[in-house]
Order: sequence, then structure tokens, then C-alpha cells
Amino acid sequence: MEQLVHARDLHVRFVTRDRTVHAVNGVDFDVAAGEVLCILGESGSGKSVTLRALMGLNPPRRTVVTGTLQVAGNNLLTASERQLEKIRGRMVSMIFQEPMTALDPVFTIGRQITETVMRHEGLSHADAARRALDLLELVQIPSARQRLLAFPHELSGGLRQRAMIAIALSCRPKLLLADEPTTALDATVQIQILLLLRQLQQELGMGVVFVTHDLGVAGEVSDRIAVMYAGRFVEEGPVTPVMRSPLHPYAKGLLGATVHAGLRGTRLTAIRGAPPDLEYLPPGCAFAPRCDLVEPACLIAVPALRGPTPDHRARCILVAGTTAGMEIADTNACHLEPGAARQGI
Amino acid sequence: MSGQLPQLPDQGGPAQPLLSVRGMVKHFTRRAALPWRPATTVRAVDGVSFDLCKGETLGIVGESGCGKSTTSRLIMALMTPTAGEVIFDGQHVGPSGLPLKEYRRQVQMVFQDSYASLNPRLTVEESIAFAPRVHGLARNSSVARARELLDAVGLAPAQFARRYPHELSGGQRQRINIARALALRPKLVILDEPVSALDKSVEAQVLNLLVDLKCAFDLSYLFISHDLNVVQYMSDRLLVMYLGQVVEIGPVDAIYDAAAHPYTAALLDSRPSMDPEQRRTEPPLTGDPPNPVNPPPGCRFHPRCTFAEPVCSVRVPVLAPLPHGHAASCLMVEPASGHSRAPRVAA
Repeated sequence: MEQLVHARDLHVRFVTRDRTVHAVNGVDFDVAAGEVLCILGESGSGKSVTLRALMGLNPPRRTVVTGTLQVAGNNLLTASERQLEKIRGRMVSMIFQEPMTALDPVFTIGRQITETVMRHEGLSHADAARRALDLLELVQIPSARQRLLAFPHELSGGLRQRAMIAIALSCRPKLLLADEPTTALDATVQIQILLLLRQLQQELGMGVVFVTHDLGVAGEVSDRIAVMYAGRFVEEGPVTPVMRSPLHPYAKGLLGATVHAGLRGTRLTAIRGAPPDLEYLPPGCAFAPRCDLVEPACLIAVPALRGPTPDHRARCILVAGTTAGMEIADTNACHLEPGAARQGI
Repeated sequence: MSGQLPQLPDQGGPAQPLLSVRGMVKHFTRRAALPWRPATTVRAVDGVSFDLCKGETLGIVGESGCGKSTTSRLIMALMTPTAGEVIFDGQHVGPSGLPLKEYRRQVQMVFQDSYASLNPRLTVEESIAFAPRVHGLARNSSVARARELLDAVGLAPAQFARRYPHELSGGQRQRINIARALALRPKLVILDEPVSALDKSVEAQVLNLLVDLKCAFDLSYLFISHDLNVVQYMSDRLLVMYLGQVVEIGPVDAIYDAAAHPYTAALLDSRPSMDPEQRRTEPPLTGDPPNPVNPPPGCRFHPRCTFAEPVCSVRVPVLAPLPHGHAASCLMVEPASGHSRAPRVAA
């Protein structure tokens, strides 16, 4: 299968005169054509920064990117702005969280699609207009012909998000990046958009990198999940084992803290504390200050990825003996003591 | 000046509802953008009535624009209703009955945006102590109470009392808002999407805190959220709104086990399955929530409903009672409504 993304030891730092923020700290991943990788993490975990790095969208003057990052065979770290323009749109494109701010308010939806197609593929205006209509039908916008003439503010939230997906798909990219595309939507619309994305991804055979903070959303769309914490993948694996038997204490905590049916009357297993400051990262496991199973060894160095299968691995020393991995996963019930929430954040 | 300011004694006994909302209506008139066009009316809340019992948590759910936040602001008297009234523990709220200042001492609110709802120029301690000072508590007593409350919401007073809102994280700020709401020892706290802006791990901390405080401070909650899982976790009873109206109300378990209104059923089915092996294949609802400017005639949900029949676009359903204090506003529940699935009239 065609390898679309190849990232090795990817670091992203934001450097200003006063401070350096270590947003992404050594991330390895591959995405093949036809595969959906979900990056799951809380705000400030570096998930959006990783995604933006895949399109070279982080602010150029303040960002230091090191490591290896290839997208569809192009080295993004050495690419010039002109080369990036060729990669964006035709190879990679992105859907953003808030369609109202990502779309241009003074142009119609149709104009924004035709502009993209004419710019990247050099089509004539008439051909581009035809493509725009096809695209709106592809993303299942009702009465597409009239909606081409609509301005973003005239559409509802769900239709706006569909229009943005249409623009992202307008040049038939091989890789689609989605940055929390359903967070701003209602539950009934969210599920429509998720199903649409999954259907389009399968029909067009695209690779997708999907960023979310919602475990449920990740479960609906992804083939593989990478759980991100303080700029590192702390756990990665196929969607079912990661959701059913997570290895890393953080991933377990996240599963326990996600309110779902059948928890009424029980205490939620909250993760105490708050994520670390990315300016001053600890030398060891970044989750150690919030972890209930912390040992002295956790504080010395960042644990390597290891796990029961080569597919499903986590950065935690407790997953060490590799054979013991599954047992730890089975006893994941509630090792967080009740009342942990009251210890302040 | 009193040194205390305790929770006011109960008035009507445990059986009397703490809060009754009767026929609440709020229409916003929008002037036309162009002079020759007619003005439009947004029917944000269109005839909402419900009771909230003492000690219970009533959840309100619905899509954006269904009027759940407007309802909460009407209850709080932050805006004047077009029609309708609020009765608090048997007393009519307003100049003729319970004065607003007394009412607001007993009903407090926590908003979604934890930063926008705090005064950036006041320290945390001053923010919490503000309302007790307004209600006549001496300065030292109100500051002492603020510190007690900080402790109660899990923030060490010595560390946090002198900080400003921008020095805190989102979860910490929401804890301050909760502490501030409790400063007057209210009986009812209205929580308008209190955890929507928080990360999942922090969300669980704040929900646990709210459960603890309800017990410790003898509170009732009106809990508004768009997250059906969170509402199920928190509430005893549930109220489902659609386009400014109540479509279903009843005990949480009854509704989650067997939703009577097709809209409620679709909302519940829209939740991600949490099981990658059993993914959704069909969206339970198509289309976006319609505009409350021109709500459809008859049942407001009929254009999106899979069970819609011609009668649904003509006849307006009323809240029809079901067993266990459960009620739904759907022609399929209402006896002899003309819908083919409606129950026959009892002989």
C-alpha cells in the first residue's frame, strides 16, 4: 500500500525571545493510503500542531521543526514555500474545526471552490463551476445548485462544514487532515458529518489524519488511534484494542473519565491534576506527576514504546515485561482513588 | 449587619416544587435589514412549563438554538419574558411577590464560559465575596466565607485566593464560578453547560465536585447541556427541548430506556457508540435543526421525523402523560390523535 506520511522523531518547537515551547517531542508515525489515523489528546497536547506540521501551516518564523517528515514522498522540512503550494491542495488538504472562521465571509461557497480548483489545476471557469457542483453533491448538500451562490453566513453549521469538506476535496487530495471537524456541531449533525467523512474516505481511498479530543468520535471513524500527551504518542494501536484495553495509565484514565452510559450513581475516575507546562517538560514520563502508579524509575527517562503486540504499544514502564502487558490492561478498573478530584488541579 | 447569611428556611414543605415555570414565552423581534422587508420574530422559547422538585437535578437537553439557554436566563430573570411566570417555592417572583434580590439570593447560576463570567479586575477571593457583601455581610466575614468556599471546591485558599482569573486554568476558573454561585447559600443552582468548555479529564473532576457539593450544600440543580451522556450521569429527571418547546419530560432512566418522542430517540442514537466493532451506519436524523424564525406548522419536528404522517403537519401535539411521570408531546403518544400509531381511546 502506498505510504502517504512518514514521520520519524518529529519535533516542533515554538521559539520566541522569552521562551521556547516544546509542542511536539519526538513523534513517529506512518499513514498509508486508505487508512484513518486518529490523534486523540486534550488541549495543549500537541495534536493540532502535529497536524499543521503535515501541511507546513505552523507560523514559519517562530517554528523549529526537526526530524523526518515526508508527505507523499516530499520532504516537508526542506520544501520551499513554492513547493509547499504544490503539495497543499493536490496532495494534502485540511478541514478545520470552525467553518465560520475558516471560510471567507465575502465570497460565495461556489466561488471559493472554483477559485481553489482553477488555482491548483488550471481548469477553465466553466469546468471549475461544474466541478464545484459535483463536489457539493458529493458532500450531500441538498439543492446544491442554489447553495453554490450562498455566502457562508447563509448556511447552517452542518452545511458549512460540508462546504468546507467540499473545498478540501476539490483537488482530489491523497491525504486529508481533519482538525476536530465536528467539535462545534450538535450531536445529531456530528454523526452525519462523521459518517460522511468515513464514506468519502472509503470511496476516494484517501489517507486521513483525524484529530479529536473525544474518544467516542475516535471510535466511530478511526482504524488506528494514537493517544497524545505533552507532545508524545503515549499509546498507539488499532482502534479496538486501544478502546477496549488501553495500556497507558493516561489512556485508561481518559477512558474512565469519559462519561458514557451506565455510570450513573458511580464516581467518575477523574485524572487528578492538569497537563504539564510545555515550556518546562520533566525529563522522565510527562504523565508521572498525575499518575497513581508512579515509581522512581518513571522520573529518570522517557519510557520507550513497548507492548504486547508490535501493533499496540505504549510509553509506560509498567507495560515493560511485554508479556505482562495484557494483564495490566485487564485490571484497569479503577486504580484512581475516589475523591481524587478534590485534590485540586 | 449580620455575621452569617445562612440558607433561608424551606417554605412550602418537601412536596411543593422548588421552582415552577408556567407558560414561559420569549420572542425576539428583529428589525428588518432593509426597510421594505417585514420584521421577523425569533420564537426562542414558545410556551415552556415545568416543575423542579426540591433536591432533584433536572437536566435540559436539545440542539443549539432550541431555547435551553434562553430558558435559563428567563428563570434567572436576566431577560424579561414575553409571557409566563416563575414561581419559587410557592411565591410568585416579581414585584408583587418575591422581590428579585431575595429571589436571586436563593437561585444562582454558573455559565459555560468560565473566563467571560468572571470580572478580570477582581481577585478570586473578591469575586466570591462580592455577592455576600451586597447582601449585607461584613467584609471580614465575607472574605472568610470565600476562603471556606475555595476549600470546598478543592482549591487551596492560601495558594489561590489572591490570584486573578487569567492566572487560572479553565477547570480552576469553573471551580471559582461554582464557589461564587454558592456564596449566598442558594437553594437552586442553574448550571448552563458548565463542563462543555473543559477537557475530558477535567470534566470528570468538575462533575464529581458538583455531585459532592449538591449533598454538602443541600442544593437542587437545573443542569443544561448538549452532551447526553453527561446529562444522564447528572440528572434525576430530563427535559428535552426542540425549537422552543418541551417535547418530552420524565425520569432519566425511563427516557433513556424507552424514549417516547422520536426526536429524543434520534438524539440518543446520535451518541457515538464507544464500540469500534459496532459503529453507526445510518445517521438517525438528517438535516440541521430548523430556524426558530418560522417554525413548521403542526408538530415542529415533523419535517425531520421518520414517522411523520399528514396529520402531523396540521395538528399541534400536546404533552400527553405516560406512566411514571413521563410525558411526551407527540401524536403517536396522544390518544386518538389521528396518527396511525396513536393509542386507541380507552373504552
